[in-house]
Amino acid sequence: MLVKVVEKDVMDPVAETGDYKIDLNKVNPDFKKLTLFDNTKPGADVILEYLGENLGNTEVIRVKKPAGAPATQKQLETAAMGEVVILGLGDCGSCSSWVILDAIRLEKLGVPTISICSSSFSDFSHELAKAHGAENLNIVTVNHPIAGTKTSEIQDKTRQILSLIRKLLGNF
Amino acid sequence: MVQKNKIVQSDDVCACSIEGLLEEKNDENRLCNSNPNDVEVFVDPDPEKISQKFYLKRMTDGLPIIPPTKDRVLKLLNYTDLNPDETITVLPPKMGIATPEKIAINSVMAGCLPQFMPVVLNCVKSLSFEKFNIAGINATTHPVAICTILNGPLSREIGAGSGAGCFGPGNLANATIGRALRLCMINIAGAVPGVGDHATMGSPAKYSFAFGENEAENPWESLSVERGYDPSISTSTVMAVEAPQNVNDHRSKTAEDLLDTIAKTASTPGCNNSHVPGEFLLIMGPEHAKTVYNHGFSKQDVKEYLHENCIVEVDLADRGGRKIEDEWIDGDHVHITRSPEDIVLVVAGGVGRHSMICHGFGTSSESVTLPIKLKNGITPSTVEDFKK
Repeated sequence: MLVKVVEKDVMDPVAETGDYKIDLNKVNPDFKKLTLFDNTKPGADVILEYLGENLGNTEVIRVKKPAGAPATQKQLETAAMGEVVILGLGDCGSCSSWVILDAIRLEKLGVPTISICSSSFSDFSHELAKAHGAENLNIVTVNHPIAGTKTSEIQDKTRQILSLIRKLLGNF
Repeated sequence: MVQKNKIVQSDDVCACSIEGLLEEKNDENRLCNSNPNDVEVFVDPDPEKISQKFYLKRMTDGLPIIPPTKDRVLKLLNYTDLNPDETITVLPPKMGIATPEKIAINSVMAGCLPQFMPVVLNCVKSLSFEKFNIAGINATTHPVAICTILNGPLSREIGAGSGAGCFGPGNLANATIGRALRLCMINIAGAVPGVGDHATMGSPAKYSFAFGENEAENPWESLSVERGYDPSISTSTVMAVEAPQNVNDHRSKTAEDLLDTIAKTASTPGCNNSHVPGEFLLIMGPEHAKTVYNHGFSKQDVKEYLHENCIVEVDLADRGGRKIEDEWIDGDHVHITRSPEDIVLVVAGGVGRHSMICHGFGTSSESVTLPIKLKNGITPSTVEDFKK
């Protein structure tokens, strides 16, 4: 008699993922209103102000939102008054999450966005956007770290991403 | 997918016919020639080998696991009246679909008994509430763990530890339910350290953090009763917290003195509560609770006293990731809670004059208490009701 010993199979603990697809919005190169969406992370204000001063003569709407948590509906609606929204700053896990997720909420409202995340959280931010069906979300990477860094250094780091942001805005 | 209540049978099962058994055989030792072998014996996989294999795929918490074979998973699925492939919730950052089957697989790996399945499933369901903010909790650099607090008859039935040493080690339900939840975060949500979970250092509490409330020695109403549930209803509460910090007070003879020790221990600038005030968890040892209660303090009195006295200087508090909003500033200090209701007070533990505090994630996450229910909405009096 031939006895075969079979090791039982084990089941896969890893979950399936949903198949999401979000239509992203194109920036109108002739936009007149720009929203700077500040999550109050250290240095976010420096980055956003630098960009506000160097992106031409546009009307700037300034809105604050919580880091690590979703923007309130009112904050989101105020931000959506701009024709394009720049969100900053994703330089930790939860704040990167909610920069990206709030950007997606704005894209769903029909508003084009640019999210600024630090180099240490850039890969994660892209993966998160992809998981939500927004693989081509505009995410610009600024060199990590920002928190604990001098204002002049943050401005230098922002200068390095200025041309890319101008390109994404399409009017320079 | 595993089908509930069906016998698991290999596709390669022997199908010898009478003709096959009677025909001439090339090998006299064989029963028949219709299959390459006469008998198949199924054995459990080697836990060491499977643990290593899963570890290398980043599907564990680093500790050895119980291999999730179909028969083991099926035993857990028999303790839910939901379909194995039903969507319970979708968990970020990976947007993994949490089904009873995936939850059961991870629970087997954690070492859960089948009877723990209704609790783990209820906890995973709780994470879908917006106010819990699982997207932030899973991804943050902050060392926040998911703490599970159990109340009601099911907690006692499954033997959840609520007395001496309830934070561990030594209790099967506490150790494995907390661990199952963590494995679900890793494998369903994608909260793999350094990939989807960006905790700077992580936390020992992220391995497992679950316990029952010591309702028998609680002089006040339990957490679930405080939140509107009858004592006969079993609940699970999930709360995003740091690892516990001890409050050793053997000498206070008045409620105020004892609560002052707790308040001073809680009032630290490095916690999230200092710059984004929110919930914090206070686990009072029964002896501490009795002292405070005997001095005429209601549960609400305790919360109000601590809300008033848990304060941090603005200069020190405003060093966190998020800028303190003006509304939180009271003179030259900040209350670490938004209101007395932010103090989540439970009684647990055994003999001794100790309590524990766990700072929360701050304004960005609130605890969720859910009754453990059958699909038809009825709250069971025993976990065996899930098998009917």
